[in-house]
Order: sequence, then structure tokens, then C-alpha cells
Amino acid sequence: MKVRIFFPLIASALLAQAGCTTVQPWEKGKLAKPEMTFGGDRLETRYADHIYTSREAAAGGAGVGGGGCGCN
Amino acid sequence: MMSARITRMLRTAIVLAAALAANGASALDKGIPAPQFELPGKDGGAVQLAKLQGRLVYVDFWASWCGPCRQSFPWMNDMQARYGARGLQVVGVNLDAKSDDARRFLAETPARFTIAFDPAGATPRAYGIKGMPSSVLIGPDGKVLYEHAGFKEADRAALEQVIQKALGGEK
Amino acid sequence: MISKQTPQELAASLLAAALLLPGVQAHADEPPRNGSISLRYLDYADRQPGLDRIHAHSPSVSVTAPVAGDWSVEGTLTADDVSGASPRYHTAISGASHMEDERKAGDFAVTRYFRRGTLTAGAAYSTEHDYVSRALSLNGTLSSEDNNTTWAFGLAGSRDSINPVNNVVVDEHKRTVSVLAGVTRVLTPNDIAQLTLTRTNGSGYYNDPYKLFDNRPRSRRENTVLLRWNHYVDATGGTTRLGYRYYSDSFRIRAHTLSGEYVQPLANGWTIAPELRLYTQSAAWFYYDPVYDATLGAPFPPGFSNGADPNRLSSPDQRLSGFGAVTVGLKVAREIGKLWTVDVKVEEYEQRGSWRLFHDGSPGLAPLRARVLQVGLTRRW
Repeated sequence: MKVRIFFPLIASALLAQAGCTTVQPWEKGKLAKPEMTFGGDRLETRYADHIYTSREAAAGGAGVGGGGCGCN
Repeated sequence: MMSARITRMLRTAIVLAAALAANGASALDKGIPAPQFELPGKDGGAVQLAKLQGRLVYVDFWASWCGPCRQSFPWMNDMQARYGARGLQVVGVNLDAKSDDARRFLAETPARFTIAFDPAGATPRAYGIKGMPSSVLIGPDGKVLYEHAGFKEADRAALEQVIQKALGGEK
Repeated sequence: MISKQTPQELAASLLAAALLLPGVQAHADEPPRNGSISLRYLDYADRQPGLDRIHAHSPSVSVTAPVAGDWSVEGTLTADDVSGASPRYHTAISGASHMEDERKAGDFAVTRYFRRGTLTAGAAYSTEHDYVSRALSLNGTLSSEDNNTTWAFGLAGSRDSINPVNNVVVDEHKRTVSVLAGVTRVLTPNDIAQLTLTRTNGSGYYNDPYKLFDNRPRSRRENTVLLRWNHYVDATGGTTRLGYRYYSDSFRIRAHTLSGEYVQPLANGWTIAPELRLYTQSAAWFYYDPVYDATLGAPFPPGFSNGADPNRLSSPDQRLSGFGAVTVGLKVAREIGKLWTVDVKVEEYEQRGSWRLFHDGSPGLAPLRARVLQVGLTRRW
């Protein structure tokens, strides 16, 4: 299964970077901007997830625990 | 039902994360001489640590984009006002890459203590700073007394106690 | 030692691991200093040539608040007012079923902030005339000492009760268990990337009771791999937000999603963000094309009149066909003072069999188009 190969491969690639260029705490000004985080507007993300799971077969990806619906 | 493979993956991930978090080396050891710095100040002059020898210096590393920094400024103003006469000097070292962002922050949240600018980030590197904001308390002899990272509501009382103790206790 | 643990046991050992981590100096995740309340309204309408299909109005409210220094709570309430026509099979206009329903949903989550991570427990509840869903979740994050790497773990379960208004079945159920593992990494002062894997196992009733000849497997295993990358562009002060998701499940559906958004702050607190999303999926193995039984005609699947097993799996649901889809959208936002943000978002979506990438899509279905409008208001305190 793809999942079995992917996870250790990418995880090790990401970890291998651990030694490379560490970004210092005072260099994180741009990363602090809301558009640079992965959260996004909570309600906006929910509406998008709800619409796409109602019209397409694929679901989820970013989180777990949302619950379901009959969704026609 | 959870497959054994998923359980194993999650366990490995936790062990990895714990390993990553395990290195608890602190920024600077207490008692060592604080690294020197000379940085441009707010109104053109220079801020030099050597010139502050003999005073209790509270160095705070801050930036305009750091949320807790906004909370810490009123507290630092308060500390400077109350203990300045007894020898405390608060120095806020700004680490914004663009000093204009810092000046905008200061216009909204004024500082009644010394401000210095270090956009290149040499000073926090020398002090081994690990989080924003971070503060270092330097004794009158120029040696590091205490370090602290972050600024939460609960930190105010504890930090004030450390300052009082360093100034010699009573009153 | 490898053993099969129940979800409760796994959650307990995750919690134990999270609490055993050594305390270190710098703080990983600060609790939110400010609370916020958000209102949002959605207006959705989809259609196919010759038939307006589903129309939905949905107001919702969300509140986030810091509590007692190391905690935060978050709650959301939403109501969907849905009405319109849905084809009973494929995209057949005649005989389309008309429906009207109101769905109410709420969820609540509590987060505890530790030196190096967080732990969040959540519950969700959703109810409509024919469907009730309950879900619980536990999510945790662990950060490295330099805060440049954050690991995420999640565990969730749901129990749904299904009672279709046409009484095709009565008191059916569906249960799912999901796990998540992910890592977020700061790459440069301008780049942050995230990889998330999820797996869901479900069993129970998956049919659409309002579609004809819809008979699906009673279990479904789903996997997703999501890769996201945010990049700050120094020259413009804007941010590109890119994402790729690979989905595969035991219905033999494979889907790729590529999404991109560019957020550009402008003067006076305005922000503009165009977005583009490309989607492609394969058909479920039991989906049948609009080619009908030689004797009986539509909607009977081929072979029906020749004594094919009436319990065989099949579905004429457009959502399980092979197709490609494109979304184009634009969001405009304005910050008013330090406390308020208003935004408007408009999107257009189109789904077509012929737009499937890399392979042929399912033939014979009318294209589906949808128009989405959202208005949002947020106040921080």
C-alpha cells in the first residue's frame, strides 16, 4: 500500500533536514502572519469540506473528527 | 478497528517526537559573563551593555509580530518605573527585520525604557535565544542571573520576584 | 510488542506519552491571547443543463476563547436549509426527487496547552430529518525544542443513525474510526510545509436511499495523503498556499486534488485572494454507466431482466462516477480597526466526466455546475 511506503520516506526526508538550516525564533516574523499558517478561517474551511464531500467521493485530509451528514 | 501497522506508525512517531524534544540545553549558563553588545538606539544614540555595568539589566528580546510582546510592554514599563531608582534598567532589543514595523508597534504600545535595534539578529544568536519573547537578567557584575522564554499572565509575579531578589530584597 | 489496541487504549497511551515529555524552556504553542467570534453565511446553488438542483442557505457562528491561562475552548453552531431536486439515477431529469430538509449541527472542543504541545478533545453532533451523526475526537501536537518541527496525532470516531423519509430502510447505522498522523516543518523564514496522513475505517450503511439501485458495500476503508506548502513572496508581500491531496478507498476510487490560493494584502487593510482547485476521481468499481437493461430500459442496470443477482452491488450516483472538476474563486477581505474583519467569497464549480485527468471519465452524465457565495464577519476581543 502506498501509505506504508510514503510515510517513512517523507518523514525521513523531512527529518534529514533537521540538521540543515535551522530557522531562529526571531526570524519567524513572516511565518506568524495568519495567511502563512495552515489553519485558515475555521468556518470557511468547514463550508468547503462540507460542499466537496457532498459532491465528490474523496473526503478529508487535513483533520479528523468532523462527523457526517446525509448530505444530498 | 485499528490495524497493528497504524499503531506501530503512531508509536514510532511519538518516540521520534520525544527524541526531538529531549534536548533541553538552556540558552546560556547562569553565572557566565553576558555577551557584550552595542546597538543603535531609538533616538539616534547607541545602547552599549558595557556602559550599563553596575546596574541590574533586564534585556528583553522582542518583535512587532510577537503576540505576547504586546502584553509584556506595559509590565516592563511598570518594572522600569518602580525599580529604576533602585538600579534596574530594562533594555528592549528589537529583532524586526524591518525597523519600520518596530516603530509602528512602539507608536501603539509605547515603551518607557531603553530600546535598541538589532535587525541582523547577532545579539539573540550570541545569547542563544530559543523563543520569542525571551528575557535575560544580567547582574551589576555583568553576569547572567536568569533567563526566561515566553510571557504569560502567570509569569508577571514570578519575574517581578526575581528582580526584587536580585535588587537585594526588602522595600 | 505489537498488539491490536482499542481506540480507547490507544488514546490513553497517546495521552500518557504526551504528558511524559520533559519540560523545556521555550514555549511551543501559546494559547490564543484573544478570543474571537465569527459569523458566516453560505448560499449554495447547483444545477445541470435543464434542471436547477440543490439550493442551500447556511448561517453559522463560531466562538473561540482562551480560558485560565493554559486552556482554550471553541464552539460552533450551524444550520443548513437545503431544498431542491436530485436525480434518482445518473443525471436523469425526469423522476428527480424533490426534497427539503433542515440540518442543525454543533461542535465543541477543549484544548490544553503544554510546554511542547497541545491536546484537544472534541465532540460533534449533527441532526436532520433522516440522519443523525455523533462524533468524538482527540488530537495532539508535539513540537521540537526549536519549534521548527511539529508532529500531529489524531483519533476520532463517529456513529450515525439513518432513517430515510421514504422508509427504504429503517434504523440503519454507520460507524467510523479515523486516525491521523502528520508533521509540519518550518523550512525557511518564508516557507512552511505540512504532510498529513489519515486513515478511516467504516462499517454500516453507505447507500444513498433516495437513489434507485443504489447498493453499496457495508464497509469502507479510506486513506489520504495531504501535502501543503505556504510560501511568502518578499517582492509582493503576498503568500502562495498550495496543496495536493491523494485519496484512495476500498470502493476503488482514486482521487487527486490540487489547490492553490494566492493571498495578497493591499493598502488600508484590504486583502484579495484568488483561488483555483483542480480535482479528478476514478469511478467506484460498482458504479454503472447510463447504459441500461436491454429489455426494461432506464433505470435498470444491464442484466437485470436476465436474472442477475438482485443483491449485487451497484450505484448510479454521479458522485461515484469518474470525473474531473474545477473550482475558481475569489475572496475579498477588509480589516476594520484592530478588532473587526469582514470578507466576501465567491466561487464557481464545474464537474464533468470528460474532464477526468489521465483516464477516461464516466460517459453520459450531464455536467454539474455550482455557484457558492459566502459572507463572513469576525470580531476579536
